[in-house]
Amino acid sequence: MAGDVTDQNAEQASPGDPTDDAGTTDGAETAGRETSTDAVLETTGLTKRFGELVAVDSVDLTVERGEFRSVIGPNGAGKTTLFDLITGALSPTSGTVTFDGEDITDLPPHVRVRRGLGRSFQITNVFGGLTVRENVRLAAQAVHREELSVLDRLFRSKERSDPVTADTERVLDRIGLADSADVRAAALAYGDRRRLEIGLVLATDPQVVLLDEPTAGMGVDETRETMSLIDEVLADRTIVLIEHDIDLVMNVSDRVTVLHGGRVLTTGTPGEVADDEEVQRAYLGGAGP
Amino acid sequence: MSGEDAADPAQGEGGPGDSDTSDRSGDRILSVEELRAGYGETEVLRGVSFDVLDGEVAALVGRNGVGKTTTLRAITGAIPARSGSIRFRGESIIGEDSVATAKRGIGLVPEERRIFPGLTVEENLRMGQLGGSETAHRREVEEVLETFGNLRERRNNRGANLSGGEQQMLAIARALVAGADLLLLDEPTEGLAPLIVESVEDVIREVNDEGISVLLVEQNVAVALDLADHVFVLDRGRIVYSGPAERLEEDGEVLDRHLGVSV
Amino acid sequence: MSAFTAVIDQLINGLTIGIVYVLLAAGLSIIFGVMDVINFAHGELFALGAYFALAVAGVQLLEGLPFHAFWISLLLAPLAVAVVGGGIERLTIRPLYGRNPLYHILLTFGLVLVFKDVIETRCCPPYFLLFRGTSRSSVSLPPMLEGQVALGAGITVATYSVFVIAAGTVVALGTWWALNNTKVGLIVRAGAQDRGMVRHLGIDIDRYYTLVFAFGSALAAVAGIVLAGRQGVFPAMGDSVIIPAFVIVVLGGLGSFRGAVVGGLGVGLIQTMLTSPPVLGEYVPSEELSGVVVFILMIIVLLARPQGLFGNPEWQSSGEEGELLTGSGEGVLGPTWRKRLGIGLVALLALVPLGVGVRYSTYVVDSLLVTMMIWALFALSLDFVLGYAGLVSLGHVLFFGVGAYTSVLVAQGKVAGLFADTPVAALLSVLGYSDSVFLALATGVGVAAVLAWVVGYLSIRVAGVYFAMITLAFAELVRNAVLKLQWAGSTDGLSTADNLDYGIFGQGIGEVGDVVLVEELTIGPVLVIGGEVHLSYYFVLVTVAGSYLLARRMMNAPFGSVLQAIRESEQRAKFLGYDTTAYKRRAFVVSGALAGLAGGLLPITTGIVLSVGPSDLHWIVSGEVIVATILGGMGTLYGPMLGAGLFVGAEELLVEYTDQWQAILGLLFVFFVIFVPRGLVSLPALLDRHLDLDLGGGGGETGADPGPAPEADADREVDD
Repeated sequence: MAGDVTDQNAEQASPGDPTDDAGTTDGAETAGRETSTDAVLETTGLTKRFGELVAVDSVDLTVERGEFRSVIGPNGAGKTTLFDLITGALSPTSGTVTFDGEDITDLPPHVRVRRGLGRSFQITNVFGGLTVRENVRLAAQAVHREELSVLDRLFRSKERSDPVTADTERVLDRIGLADSADVRAAALAYGDRRRLEIGLVLATDPQVVLLDEPTAGMGVDETRETMSLIDEVLADRTIVLIEHDIDLVMNVSDRVTVLHGGRVLTTGTPGEVADDEEVQRAYLGGAGP
Repeated sequence: MSGEDAADPAQGEGGPGDSDTSDRSGDRILSVEELRAGYGETEVLRGVSFDVLDGEVAALVGRNGVGKTTTLRAITGAIPARSGSIRFRGESIIGEDSVATAKRGIGLVPEERRIFPGLTVEENLRMGQLGGSETAHRREVEEVLETFGNLRERRNNRGANLSGGEQQMLAIARALVAGADLLLLDEPTEGLAPLIVESVEDVIREVNDEGISVLLVEQNVAVALDLADHVFVLDRGRIVYSGPAERLEEDGEVLDRHLGVSV
Repeated sequence: MSAFTAVIDQLINGLTIGIVYVLLAAGLSIIFGVMDVINFAHGELFALGAYFALAVAGVQLLEGLPFHAFWISLLLAPLAVAVVGGGIERLTIRPLYGRNPLYHILLTFGLVLVFKDVIETRCCPPYFLLFRGTSRSSVSLPPMLEGQVALGAGITVATYSVFVIAAGTVVALGTWWALNNTKVGLIVRAGAQDRGMVRHLGIDIDRYYTLVFAFGSALAAVAGIVLAGRQGVFPAMGDSVIIPAFVIVVLGGLGSFRGAVVGGLGVGLIQTMLTSPPVLGEYVPSEELSGVVVFILMIIVLLARPQGLFGNPEWQSSGEEGELLTGSGEGVLGPTWRKRLGIGLVALLALVPLGVGVRYSTYVVDSLLVTMMIWALFALSLDFVLGYAGLVSLGHVLFFGVGAYTSVLVAQGKVAGLFADTPVAALLSVLGYSDSVFLALATGVGVAAVLAWVVGYLSIRVAGVYFAMITLAFAELVRNAVLKLQWAGSTDGLSTADNLDYGIFGQGIGEVGDVVLVEELTIGPVLVIGGEVHLSYYFVLVTVAGSYLLARRMMNAPFGSVLQAIRESEQRAKFLGYDTTAYKRRAFVVSGALAGLAGGLLPITTGIVLSVGPSDLHWIVSGEVIVATILGGMGTLYGPMLGAGLFVGAEELLVEYTDQWQAILGLLFVFFVIFVPRGLVSLPALLDRHLDLDLGGGGGETGADPGPAPEADADREVDD
């Protein structure tokens, strides 16, 4: 992102592609304000307990359509648990998750994905024994699942060209892995596997993308490349990004939510959050607020 | 991060300029040099070097996925080192398995504690007694139960029924009973409430006061700075910074670049 | 006998059997808890105990001693079995730690064959020495254990039963005491919860494995001896207890001693109460119920509480369940070569009948090769779920056997008979239902598929070892039901000489066994075919080859891709939007249908008289097909088919040349599981590494180093 969007003014509007639908423009305009005119993802009182530990504590989160939201916080703040609750990997102790106006709290993960809620994993989770192309194709195929008849699904060769193949090649190009499409995913370099991870999410064509520390374990250059990749290929979507590193998200985010001890410490524009004394304390000041 | 910062990747590779191990004097209980290790096709540790002085608390800090736990696994022999050296009290322990390293007096307090959930507190401690080594620091079960008052009260409770903080105490106590000379603590404060974090910190200080060396692995930089005499920062499989805790606290550059904690 | 004394009698009987089960299950459970080994050979160790007891009792020297030989055997036989058990652990199980429990199942299955052989044929030198002169099959009891003992209130019970209950209780309590009050017991319990951490404390837990295995074996031996004193000694005695013992362990919770005790007594009591009617007074339970109730109980318990009554899911959190080693991406043969060889093989098979009656008998073609091909199809069906969806089904014989039964039932007209007096009957009659081989096979496939859907629906929610056990339970449930069903021929099975026709609507070209293509063929002066070549041979060849192509097609279609994705990472597949549970169920249905097809072919093609029996539903068959699948290399479709061919062929050869064929076959499995876990298809790659062969294959596949890569990803998840 550093290369593409250095202009401070562009910061707010950057995720919203100008050619995109009205919802996106809305999101960009309302960024920074707690209005929920067009909330695509919303949690209310979301709580998860593990025994006596409250990993996520009454979190109210409202993400606008088209927004680039970052959720930051020191380790153990409950970021990944929050993602698990939103995507259905865990079920909450209490509270609700609403997506696109519907309560999805009790839906299994695969149904949430089908509704348009995609996620990437912090620990790279691709199909190591399959080729890169096969990985992407599986994701693209999930989108076009309904278009195939039962017989086609069971017997039709996957080599035959169809919308799935087209999508697959397009995604491979966008994530820059077209040249290594026939390599087994396990044999990819670490950074490339992280790119594939993002490619898988992209290929499921989600409305909202939840990215869990997409640059974890990457070098400085790789990190920069990955952030611009995200900014580029996911520009027309709503993004919720988990990050440990505040600086990394400053330029790309519309709004930043700071999580600490399972609670929302504050939500605001990058500038507001950076100046917040409580946030500074949370990061450096020891055991807690 | 702004464009200018990111444009200077050279420092990110952890040049020796940041490190400062030369002026560390004293006996080294553990020294690790150019350690390489990983899993399958992935190399996680790409030449890690650091040491722990006898009697100090050293901290190894770094973000998620940079190789902290892998370092501990390599030291304890849970995974093989691919190259480099690991010395404990001057003797090479490369190639030894976790049983052998434990018998030398390296006590592991692992991530998520790994106490035996179906055994009582006392039985957990007796497992430490049955293993471990006959070092000067080896303590009796009763002795440890004296020190850890809350464990004494719950000596007949099963591990599974303890709170997170109690489990952490038990895991440390178990390592003490096993006679650890060097305690490897993997994220001891993870998932604990702030008040409990403080009491775990107190226990670590007490243990260290008795002369047991501690290697603390933490993501929580605040805890590491609180406890450690010397801090090593690990990033992408290499040590990128080494220095006294007080100095790191003031080094916004390192905190920012490798730990992502400055604001 | 009054109702009350009858109840007491039942109770004592139930407790006697129950305590034997407790000893058996405790050993199994401890071995599983500490080492994750599912020991199918446990039943054979139980039998071995009884046979050793016989041997000890037969030693002449002992007759001068003041004690009865029974007491000495009760002391010595368990020790001897402990030594055998320890040896097994050291020599065969040790190399497999860290692999998926499936490999232990396979290994111990191989050991079952070895032990069975040793016990049945009394073959091997040491054994022969021990048993010279003994042909007895019952353990003589000391006088003090014979007769009845009065319990007061007019109730008398067999002294021996009281002894068994008392002795069993003492041993069980002793074991419990030792687990809770000794150092070794503490280490064993800790090891069952987290082996890795035990090692980190400086305790070499591996050293205790041999001890634990030896101890578990000794418990089995004690159980064998005390039961032998009551019921005699017979070769199949291990077979008769191993499945109930598994049910008890799973019911009580794998690795839980308490579960073994409660489960053992419970199952013992239930079995006795139900087999002997008077207890329930007027409510005589139906005969059919007694064999199946235990399995139904187990299935219900597993569905409600997958970890068993007393199992603690957290204790198995070490997450060390190793992956299944597939043969995929292994071969040095590239896809083109594989295709050529496949076509070549089918062509060869098509030409084999050319030598009938000249080079070999019709038996080779009509029976041996047909059986090989049918088993190839059966193995293919298993690979579909085992190699691609990672579902370890231990009950695949259910679908195979049901297919076989269906064929015979259709031929007998019993299936059509079900619909007598309904409108369907007319339709069936028009179709010529009871005569059509196609409709019979279709029915078998349909029934197997429906059954697979039911089993899959109920069991796919439980994972890993529990899935294996629940499928085993379903298969045993059906076998036991069949044993009681007159309609299905009960213990005798079914047979009919009325074979099916190649045809439909009552029109056909003749009976399956009868249609002969060529009887004799002479080309010039050379006699090429000297016997009958049956159409059935080609019918099977086409069906099997066609099924393979179909299965391969499915694996290359969207459905198959998703299965492979699930095998790689189920969680990720879910987060791409796939309902992974549904996919696994569908795969299970396809697999069950293919197994039903294989089973359906079995009775109609291998003889003039169609016959099927309960042995076609025996769990050993499930074990055999797993062995065949692994032998070939699972996850490749063609590998398991080759493996099955080899399996049947090897059996045939060995039977011809040696009486000890079972033992040799068993040892072969043991060897394969330890040294070639990825199967035959990986042999070229293995050899390649040593011999530097170049067959121009493996193109582009980076599978040359199969070992560490997949494990690495698993490990990475626990890191940092």
